[in-house]
Amino acid sequence: MSMDLDLNVKLAVYRHFAETARRPSPEDVAERVAVPVDEVLDAYKRLRSQRVLVLEADDASIRMAPPFSGVVTQHWVDAGGLSYFANCAWDALGIPAALHQTATVHSRCEQSKEPLRLEVGFDGPEPSDWLFHCAVPAAHWWNDIVFT
Amino acid sequence: MLFFRSEERVREWCETRGLPLRPLVRIDQLWGLAHAWYATRLQPDSRRPQPAEMREIFSRLGLAGDFWDPQSDQFG
Repeated sequence: MSMDLDLNVKLAVYRHFAETARRPSPEDVAERVAVPVDEVLDAYKRLRSQRVLVLEADDASIRMAPPFSGVVTQHWVDAGGLSYFANCAWDALGIPAALHQTATVHSRCEQSKEPLRLEVGFDGPEPSDWLFHCAVPAAHWWNDIVFT
Repeated sequence: MLFFRSEERVREWCETRGLPLRPLVRIDQLWGLAHAWYATRLQPDSRRPQPAEMREIFSRLGLAGDFWDPQSDQFG
């Protein structure tokens, strides 16, 4: 039963992000799934333990539903007339991949602060000599996923 | 997980913070990672790649070594 609920909550969260480019409130999710808010919050905790969601300290606000970010970041993606925030450089490309839409990725060089604007088609980004760097080894990514 | 304009900018950023330089990833490789992780994310049967799948994805994209091993014990 909780597995079905968790799946429905997860899909409601992701569909809300995809359709609005903003994080849903627990009430938004409860309305989509047609369950009480308390059940949504219980599902959030299980989805957090499965590393599907990252929650804020209040256990109710979604910080991350990768690749979507629930908060403003330096990485944003224009697609389908909406502007989405991504958690990191990887997720900035993850948003057009998840939406299956063409997009424009906006970010910056973390050292020089030079702006990045990258067009992404259905088959991937335009040729670019920019680079991606991750300071944290794969085995440790979830030790502190916000820092990673 | 950040973008950089060039390898020189990555080196400067790492030196400023006393961090080691990690493997550099091209944009086409990053697209491969993003697509592998997220292309099915909005579908009911979507799930995060498990360690064996992660290794296969990294290997296919030419990302080799302990840094990319999700179960490596080489980094403390």
